Amino acid sequence: MPLESFEEQRKLADLSYLVQGITFTVYSDGRGTERLFPFDLVPRIIPRSEWDVIERGLAQRVMALNLYLQDIYGAQRILKDQVIPRNLVFSCKHFRREMVGLNVPRDIYIHVSGIDLVRDSRTGQYLVLEDNARSPSGISYVLENRLVMRRTFPRAFEVSEVMPVDHYPSELARILRSLSPRSGERPVVVLLTPGLYNSAYFEHCFLAQEMGIELVEGRDLVVVDDVVYMKTIHGLTRVDVIYRRVDDDFLDPLAFRSDSMVGAAGLINAYRAGNIALANAIGTGVADDKAIYAYVPAFIKYYLGEDPILMNVDTYLCSNPEHLCYVLDHLHELVVKAVGESGGYGMLMGPSSDKKTIEDFRQRLKADPRNYIAQPVIPLSRVPSFDPAIGGMSPRHVDLRPYCLYDGEKVTIVPGGLTRVALQRGSLVVNSSQGGGSKDTWVLRGDE
Amino acid sequence: MMLSRIADSLFWIGRYMERADNTARILDVNYHMLLEQPPNTYKLRWDPLIAVTGERTRFYQKHEDASAQTAFDFLGISEDNPNSIKQCIMNARENARAIRDRLSRELWEDINSLYHRVMRVHDQGEDLTRFCDAVKRGGHRFHGVCDATLARDEGWHFVQAGCVLERAEMTARILDVHYHQLLEGPPILNESRNHLWMAVLKSVAAFEFYKRQYGQIEPAKVSELLLLDARHPRSVRFNLSALQSSLYAISGSVPGTYANEAERLTGKIHERLMYDSIEEIFAGGLHNFLTDLQESCRTIGEQITGAYFHYAVVA
Repeated sequence: MPLESFEEQRKLADLSYLVQGITFTVYSDGRGTERLFPFDLVPRIIPRSEWDVIERGLAQRVMALNLYLQDIYGAQRILKDQVIPRNLVFSCKHFRREMVGLNVPRDIYIHVSGIDLVRDSRTGQYLVLEDNARSPSGISYVLENRLVMRRTFPRAFEVSEVMPVDHYPSELARILRSLSPRSGERPVVVLLTPGLYNSAYFEHCFLAQEMGIELVEGRDLVVVDDVVYMKTIHGLTRVDVIYRRVDDDFLDPLAFRSDSMVGAAGLINAYRAGNIALANAIGTGVADDKAIYAYVPAFIKYYLGEDPILMNVDTYLCSNPEHLCYVLDHLHELVVKAVGESGGYGMLMGPSSDKKTIEDFRQRLKADPRNYIAQPVIPLSRVPSFDPAIGGMSPRHVDLRPYCLYDGEKVTIVPGGLTRVALQRGSLVVNSSQGGGSKDTWVLRGDE
Repeated sequence: MMLSRIADSLFWIGRYMERADNTARILDVNYHMLLEQPPNTYKLRWDPLIAVTGERTRFYQKHEDASAQTAFDFLGISEDNPNSIKQCIMNARENARAIRDRLSRELWEDINSLYHRVMRVHDQGEDLTRFCDAVKRGGHRFHGVCDATLARDEGWHFVQAGCVLERAEMTARILDVHYHQLLEGPPILNESRNHLWMAVLKSVAAFEFYKRQYGQIEPAKVSELLLLDARHPRSVRFNLSALQSSLYAISGSVPGTYANEAERLTGKIHERLMYDSIEEIFAGGLHNFLTDLQESCRTIGEQITGAYFHYAVVA
């Protein structure tokens, strides 16, 4: 395709995102500006043989994480067997004491997870960078990107065999319905959103619509006698399952943060009484804490008796004095991350930071070592991307977030996932809040 | 099954879209009418227009004089006037964004496109006619897309209820303000009177229909058409009839009964508009009649809110 028409297609695609309102909100200017999530029309291609390894590796990891949560909020065998230090688990910011001893429907904690992978350009191996077991977002971009690509390059889909991704919403809806505590009735499933001003609001709408379920806000819900209802024009309707995209802290002002305006008072009592199912369960943050991450390979061994298929990135736990010492000596060559944060916040990129920032982090690490981990900088693999500045192709660093659905028996992963791309040449940062963009990810039916 | 919050938003999408459309119509028609009038009457003619939108006080806090420019600024694009066209479109779009999973993709994209069109006015400066034209077209597209893509469920009836209630109130107000102006304002030439009534008819898209129906311009006939006509989609009666149908569809009431105060009031005024003659209305005083009508429309809006959107839950 000639470059001019490529550029034209690119503008058309941008316009289609704007008209559809597929935007995220940036609050830096006080007005809450809506921005397009930059989209690169050049797809990232993953051969089937590579994908098979990723798929098996992720399924294994999700099963292990779920068993770990079941154990931590149940018998706590893993602590008794000293596979992971008790302190490390109980000091997690997102550990929820309230969940200990509580039975969750069908023993599923992590119904939905997004596991970030990077491909080490030296070895070609995929490594797990972090687990997201609370409410990872981004799947709507996967589905919308595919839609735009199909409209823009229908011919390309005719000739290359790309595996479909569209079944995600129906698979998620199936899992959610299976959680209903009321048997016999047609379950009422809702998606709970913090509302219009949440940066992932577009995704919440999109998923609710695709699944044909009600999108609710906290103010739509009332809890009466430990039963959750929503307010409709003809009175109250009972709710059975909530796919919640509201953080634990804000779910119920009576149980957690009392200043929460986006939750429903009494929700946790209804959950305890077994009258409502939540996905994901409360307290799953004790599985995706970045310090816990270092132990996930050990979980796989402990719970499944298998060797991990996907490796971790080497990780230094600053809570360990020896590791801390090493980290403090090598700050300029490491990536430091706060354990309970996500989205690129609370992070130090050693090699590209100035002295002042590094010293600042040194103080923070010394003051609160448990809160940090460090990893070597992984040379991310690069893929061709369109660069409007030069009007041609140019290599850019990428990562990959596949989305995993767990129904209590098996893990389903739509082929591909969200490929995030650093739009600046040479940059390793792919977060949307830091100027990253996305690409469609094509998993091919074969290797060609 | 429909959430109260969603019904509330749908109702207000209808109202705001209709309000924007009506405001664009009266602005545009007035502007074109005045192009052929002596310049010294301009102020006289822009003032009632501001009154129609119910924002007179706010307007004179901001502007000394009512002119085409200040009226356009205030009614068209001002961010200080909560009922300016731009604000209405922004509000409609904000409501639509909050419930976009309940709208057809086409409807959301259409409202969103209109929003982006209206927001562009900010950067470029804008020609009144072109702006109003874009908004009016947007209004027509809105009705078309609703008609062609929305299921006829309760949601559709809430959008309808919002539109027709707003339109009924607006038509009543346009008639009220202009009648008042003609009776109590400074004397104007007969020829200008005709122009004015023609402008009123054009602003509710009823000029051609009127000419076919009645021929000569007569204030009583214009009033009759705007209030009592059963066929014209902008007459008050037509819209109250549509409102009644939508309210019945939502509650399941049968004609002759009512499930709530909104239905009772709607039925009551609709009945009057069906059986009163224009002579009877004039005998009781048009202004009084129109004041009651506008007051009833406000109350109906509040009663719909109380019955469906913000009711108390007893634990």
